[in-house]
Amino acid sequence: MNPNTSKYLTVTAINRYLKDQFDRNEHLRMVFLKGEISNFKDHTTGHLYFSLKDENSKINAIMFSRNAAKLKFKPADGTKVLVVGRIGIYEATGSYQIYVEEMQEDGVGNLYIAFEQLKEKLSKEGLFDPKHKKALPRYPTRIGIVTAPTGAAIRDILSTIKRRFPMCETILFPSLVQGEYAAPDIVRNIKRAASYPIDLLIVGRGGGSIEDLWAFNEEIVARAIYESEIPIISAVGHEIDFTIADFVADHRAPTPTGAAEMAVPNVVDLLKYTHQLQIRLSEAMTKKIKYQALTLESIKNSFVIKSPMILFDNKRQGLDLLHTKLVEKMNDYVEKKRGLLEQYQKHYLLKNPKLLYEPMILTLQGHVSTLHKAMQKQIELRKVSMVHDIQKLELVNPLGVLKRGYTVTYQGDRVVKGIQDIEDQKPLQIHFYDGLVEATVWKKEVK
Amino acid sequence: MAKEKTEKFEDKMKELETIINELETGEIDLDSSIEKYMRAMKLVEECDAKLKSIEEQVNQIVKEDGTLEEFHYEEEE
Repeated sequence: MNPNTSKYLTVTAINRYLKDQFDRNEHLRMVFLKGEISNFKDHTTGHLYFSLKDENSKINAIMFSRNAAKLKFKPADGTKVLVVGRIGIYEATGSYQIYVEEMQEDGVGNLYIAFEQLKEKLSKEGLFDPKHKKALPRYPTRIGIVTAPTGAAIRDILSTIKRRFPMCETILFPSLVQGEYAAPDIVRNIKRAASYPIDLLIVGRGGGSIEDLWAFNEEIVARAIYESEIPIISAVGHEIDFTIADFVADHRAPTPTGAAEMAVPNVVDLLKYTHQLQIRLSEAMTKKIKYQALTLESIKNSFVIKSPMILFDNKRQGLDLLHTKLVEKMNDYVEKKRGLLEQYQKHYLLKNPKLLYEPMILTLQGHVSTLHKAMQKQIELRKVSMVHDIQKLELVNPLGVLKRGYTVTYQGDRVVKGIQDIEDQKPLQIHFYDGLVEATVWKKEVK
Repeated sequence: MAKEKTEKFEDKMKELETIINELETGEIDLDSSIEKYMRAMKLVEECDAKLKSIEEQVNQIVKEDGTLEEFHYEEEE
């Protein structure tokens, strides 16, 4: 019996196939796992080999050196851990395992929760708001430092300041930075710093585990930093560590050395800068003087200075202009008045002056004729009455009597009515109706 | 405590920058420009001298009672 071997797979082929299936499964690419370390082996290459187990089960794990280097704790058998990694198959042994990328101690999980909760709370209160962040002085005179008096942090800060900006003085507020008394001591020192003449405060410590740095995640520290009138640079741990203090501080430096670099300028840069300022100063001044010289030159060369009569000419031209205007205006005025006069002249009343007095003449004529008629009437009346009078007079006319044979005798101008009127020796004129007789008295006989 | 300097370095730098800006914008007359120029030159010299001076760094530590004393740190070898 010779079975058909072509049906049979090689071990390599099945392992490769399974490895491929694992790699294709996206659920296995990033797995969060918690468990306890066992069979821990720290290989000379730096790779870590161990198992993760719980009460009932176990999985092989490997952590390559590049990831293992980032560990903040020393793993050992029995350590409870949280890991993140992918699950794959190692073809050579056909065993599946978790390739751990990140690992942390499980116990500290509570701290992370506390951290996140406090961060959330203070953020909501606005303690991290950029509008509260104070600017740093450009050239601090004196810097306060709240940290431990021994250790790398204070040494890094002071040596960096000395190297960069030695004129800056420092005052150290020695503080506990680790352990349960650290937070209140940091708070006390931040508050104490307010009464010293410093223009900037660095608060921090060197790197360490999350427990080591924990004081800088305490609410009282956060509030003390927030309330400080002096600008604060936080400098806690290494670059990757972020604490609540970092969020609330006016500026966050990744390390104590970084804080010192942030706090003071570099004297070398400053010397370059002052040199630049000097150049700018000279240039500005040169430019200013050149400009003034040019201005003076252009004034000297100006048309007016060279030919001062131009000023006079301008005025004269102005005068001419005014004169022309005056004449024009006068002519306008005269024209206007003449026009008005012509209008008057053409006025119909002037053309027909009769219109003005004709009504008066008519009235006058009316009056005259009325007067005339009245006179006529009067005359008529008088005529009639005169005829009456004449008739009456006719009756008494002495001449009429004379006709009847009577005479009238005058002596001089007087009518002689009796003989007693007669003066002797004087002639008498005796009037007849048809003439007179002069007579002399011969004899008078009174009856 | 170190005695307060008559004029802070920061104030001098600020004054210097202000004067240069004024001179550069050219809004001031020649006489006061010259005056300001002289002042600025003096400030530059003073700031430069300050930067170049080799002074012993003044580091102090606050004692429990609040007084200050000199502080020496172990320099790294």
